[in-house]
Amino acid sequence: MSTARGGSASSAEAVLDIQALSKVYGETSALAQVSLQVRQGELLTLLGPSGSGKTTLLKVIAGFEAPTAGTVLLRGRDISRLSPARRGVGMVFQHYALFPHMTVAQNVGYGLKFRGVGRAGRERRVGEMLALLRLDGLGGRYPRQLSGGQQQRVALGRALAYDPEVILMDEPLGALDRALRLEMEEQIRAIHRELGATIVYVTHDQQEALALSDRIAIMRAGKVASIGEPAQLYARPADSFVAGFFANANLLAVAEHELLGDGSARVCCGGGELRCATNATAGDRVVLAVRRRSLRRSASAGSLRIAGPVVEMLLFGDEQEISIDSPALGRVVATIDQRDCAGVALGVELELFAVAQEALLVPLV
Amino acid sequence: MRHAPGDRFTGALGAGVAATTAFVLLVPAALVVVLSFSNDRFFDFPPHAWGVGQYRRLFEDPRWGSALWLSVKIAGPVALLAALVVVPTLFAIHRSRLPLRNALQVGGIAGIILPISAYAVAMYGVYAQIGLLGTYWGLVLANLTLAVPVMLLVTSAAMSRIPPELELAAMVAGASRAQAWFAITLRLLSPAILAGAVLAFVTSLDEAVLVNFLGGPGLETLPKAILDSVRYGLEPVIAAIATLLMVGTSLAMALAARLARGGAS
Repeated sequence: MSTARGGSASSAEAVLDIQALSKVYGETSALAQVSLQVRQGELLTLLGPSGSGKTTLLKVIAGFEAPTAGTVLLRGRDISRLSPARRGVGMVFQHYALFPHMTVAQNVGYGLKFRGVGRAGRERRVGEMLALLRLDGLGGRYPRQLSGGQQQRVALGRALAYDPEVILMDEPLGALDRALRLEMEEQIRAIHRELGATIVYVTHDQQEALALSDRIAIMRAGKVASIGEPAQLYARPADSFVAGFFANANLLAVAEHELLGDGSARVCCGGGELRCATNATAGDRVVLAVRRRSLRRSASAGSLRIAGPVVEMLLFGDEQEISIDSPALGRVVATIDQRDCAGVALGVELELFAVAQEALLVPLV
Repeated sequence: MRHAPGDRFTGALGAGVAATTAFVLLVPAALVVVLSFSNDRFFDFPPHAWGVGQYRRLFEDPRWGSALWLSVKIAGPVALLAALVVVPTLFAIHRSRLPLRNALQVGGIAGIILPISAYAVAMYGVYAQIGLLGTYWGLVLANLTLAVPVMLLVTSAAMSRIPPELELAAMVAGASRAQAWFAITLRLLSPAILAGAVLAFVTSLDEAVLVNFLGGPGLETLPKAILDSVRYGLEPVIAAIATLLMVGTSLAMALAARLARGGAS
């Protein structure tokens, strides 16, 4: 069963090819012309706020919802009108959705029954899965006798057991507490690495997306706002939405700007001036995206000065998250190393400097 | 940890109310049980002569046996038919996107919300038109209108505790919709369906109003026989019947509760 993903297929081949997919509920458009390719063996995350269409997209891929328009190809086969059972995908649900009247082994082996796998074959495969997921010896238990993390591993085993072409995960860690979430992230990474499984992963948690993904598709209002590798999306967000939602950047109002034609721009912002990189084109409305860690307490060459009284301080161990209220730019949030926080207190007037090389002028959406 | 004073007051109040209610409900029942173990010819409390004479008379008189048998012959099909009506209704209410599914839920329990005597008069009119008055199937149908809501209430609560994702999980793994319904949802619902069927059976067995309007000669159910017997004089044998009916019903209810609890875990 586990031969399909040998080395013969090129790693760049699209396993799942989503073409101009739309889903309209009455008047509202949940998906608007979404196109997306998921490559062999990659973990692609659909990241977005609630209502951005990420879960709808997953439901359409799984076959729980019919698309209004567009097609879904799985290895070149049009599956958009097939029943969920005939699509050959696996799915992990947020609340596990384990069958409470079946044992762990019966849950994991459930999909094999429909694929003509004999009893001996099922037992062997279930044994492999339980070993892989560190559930050895728990095959005879019922789901209610397991911890949350164990239940989620059983759900993972049920989706993996029949070796589907692609595995869909709908916020699989959303129901777990923080410590367990980190452990499960590690588990999913390990499984993805060991099995080379192709995974489409839905989450609204940016940290989770960063920790797990080969690529991230950021969704907004039923569309893919931006897609790329995590580091690239983080360092060079395509627009103000991605910068704010994904990179947690401050979006500073720009008084005046000039595109210099070499991918950089001269920006007048908050009474100061800065030269920085840009991905805006002529005619765009723009904002200056400055990530929280790109704000320092001391000036550097070409940096932009922002000042105002401290209105909030949050301690994160080695770092402080400090908010100032700039008269010119409004609230600005900076993450500062704890060692550089001497003299900072609520109400104190604070000067911060945006590092020119790390600021980015982006189109406002 | 100590409880707040308000907590203790609420607790005491609750216990008091519960105890009073139980007392008011249980005392008449206990009286009937005591009265049933008497050999007197007339009702008297406390009995002059203790014994199982009433039970002997009950089993010697064929009238009671045949009344009980008729009640069971009605209640059995009522329970079965109620299940056949309720299960598809549950899927329509909880698993479909029918535009009127909320109306279905409300309409489904209307039978026990409407005043039963008004309902009986209306059914009398309808039955007279279509010739169902005084027929066995007429009584089955009438009792069904009461049993379906009871069963729907019990099973609907259980159905809403079964996440729809279980069916989706089964389907994505390869099950057809029918397989997902039968092997997952219906399987998980089966204890509640059994519990509901027991309650439907008991509801039909105890039905005493509709039968007076819609029954007729040769259709004397147990509640009707009890009422008729009381109408012409208080026979102490009634206490024996009432006691057996209470014991039987309590056992059935305990069974239903056990089944429903088994399904919830």
